[in-house]
Amino acid sequence: MTGLVSPQHTQLARPVELAAASALRSQATPRRWGRRLYLAANIAILTFLLAPIAIVIVFALNPTPFIQFPPVGVSLRWFEKFFASRDFMQALLFSLEVAAMTTVAATVLGASAALAIARGNLPGSRLIVATMLSPLMLPAILTGLALFQSYVLLDVGRPVWGLVAGHTLVTIPYVVRTTLAVLHNFDVRLEEAAQNLGASPARTFVEVTLPLVKPGVMAGGIFAFIVSFDQFPVSLFLVAPGSETLPITLFNYLKFDLDGTIGAASVVSILLAFLVVIALDRTVGLRSYVKL
Amino acid sequence: MPGSSAPRVNSLALLILPSALLFALFFFLPIGLMAVMSVLTGNPVVMPNVAFTTKHYARMGNDSYYLEVISTTLRIGLWTTLVALVIGYPLAHWMARIKSRTGHALLLMAVLAPMLTGIVVRTFAWMTLLSDKGVINQILISLGLIARPLQLMYNEAGIIIGLVHIYVPFMVLTLTGVIGRIDERLEQAAENLGASPWRAFLEVTLPLSLPGILAGSLLVFALAISAYVTPILLGGFQIMTLPILIYQQISANFNVGFAAALGMVLLVISLSLVIAYNHVLGLVSGQRELQ
Repeated sequence: MTGLVSPQHTQLARPVELAAASALRSQATPRRWGRRLYLAANIAILTFLLAPIAIVIVFALNPTPFIQFPPVGVSLRWFEKFFASRDFMQALLFSLEVAAMTTVAATVLGASAALAIARGNLPGSRLIVATMLSPLMLPAILTGLALFQSYVLLDVGRPVWGLVAGHTLVTIPYVVRTTLAVLHNFDVRLEEAAQNLGASPARTFVEVTLPLVKPGVMAGGIFAFIVSFDQFPVSLFLVAPGSETLPITLFNYLKFDLDGTIGAASVVSILLAFLVVIALDRTVGLRSYVKL
Repeated sequence: MPGSSAPRVNSLALLILPSALLFALFFFLPIGLMAVMSVLTGNPVVMPNVAFTTKHYARMGNDSYYLEVISTTLRIGLWTTLVALVIGYPLAHWMARIKSRTGHALLLMAVLAPMLTGIVVRTFAWMTLLSDKGVINQILISLGLIARPLQLMYNEAGIIIGLVHIYVPFMVLTLTGVIGRIDERLEQAAENLGASPWRAFLEVTLPLSLPGILAGSLLVFALAISAYVTPILLGGFQIMTLPILIYQQISANFNVGFAAALGMVLLVISLSLVIAYNHVLGLVSGQRELQ
């Protein structure tokens, strides 16, 4: 530390103006360049993040059946092909159905669990939280494999409820996390005040706790919907042939074809996700729910 | 819990039961069954005389092909983690330090947008960019920089590019949280004492953000080694990783026992990473993983 400080001491001994002038002369240029480099690197990184999404949109609107750059025109033929395709439409509808069922299940189960953890004084709550968040980090492909093996062993086939159960498992952590975040942030004294004013625990719960928790639950539900809609590894093992979700159908198509239909399908799912995110931002605000 | 001396379990605790049931039936039981299947000679439901065996694990240990697959998987995971860290750190730093609220919101959107685009869609996007007739090769050829297309995919590099794109948001969000908690005045103090911004960063910010680096890296590594879509499509079915091998054992060979054994290997690796991740985040602050 002394080595770091000592040159500055000699500088400080000089008159202040002199020190400031020399600091300006010696530091301003490299500092400005450093700042430019920092911004340039970050803009390059942002380009890396966003360019592929932009390319997909260009590709979806490009009339040629192969990738052409720069694009030669704008057409909606790939969107027409996508919406006219029975396979894609069935898959899209099935994905929406599964995502809707998953959202309901994950929201109800996840929000109840979060309430129990935050307000039930459960022993070992840290372990319970870690367990409930673990499907986020354990490979989803293992969840898929393990469920598939169990369904084979129990000879139940590949039922829709089995798929929804798998999706619920991998989306519950989002609901638990957002709901817990709200429960931890809000003032317990609000509940105490309601009880002091004579409200029963049940009434306090319905009239104070639930409305305050609602934004967190909704945010988690919206995440659950998006994650289920885009879910791949669990579905890979659990979908029945003939009734596949959209990501699986896209994947199977991608193995053989690389035309604009995939681009159009991608744009549709990107738009859907964006609509959902805008809804999320409008209703509850994004910032507090994306902490990892 | 200040004030309440001995918190008692109350009726709200019962609300945990539905989730507990779901996790027991659809998570722990299946994974337990997978562990059992990995040491059995066959399916006990349809075959009358199954026996205990270690042959699935022995097969993995004895055949260098499977060890090669595991090492390929880990190598791809390591490179992905390293690249994601190098490009994720500057962005996370900017997000944590940017003053304007609009700027922060825009950056957050830019990081979340790829996250909200499905894995299949993003892999497709990289195929249109990296293929022989893809955007990058077309641009390079039209500029006269290269004569023949570069081989950008159907190799490990292509897989790593795609995986980095998919998992770098997780790195950025983890790092932003940790960098944001480092008091900016520490950097300013270092600079006031004469350190250049770069030196202040190297000697103050970087060491303080080490837990974030570790946590983010563990997370990205765990996600990257379990990826399926990106390695199979950007690897052009040429490069074998553990998840691809697992699915192949089910779909092509229907060797459930061997698939289970491979699954157990992936499970043990991932589980140690998860425990390490939680431990690291627990070190950052005691209550973090509750959020």
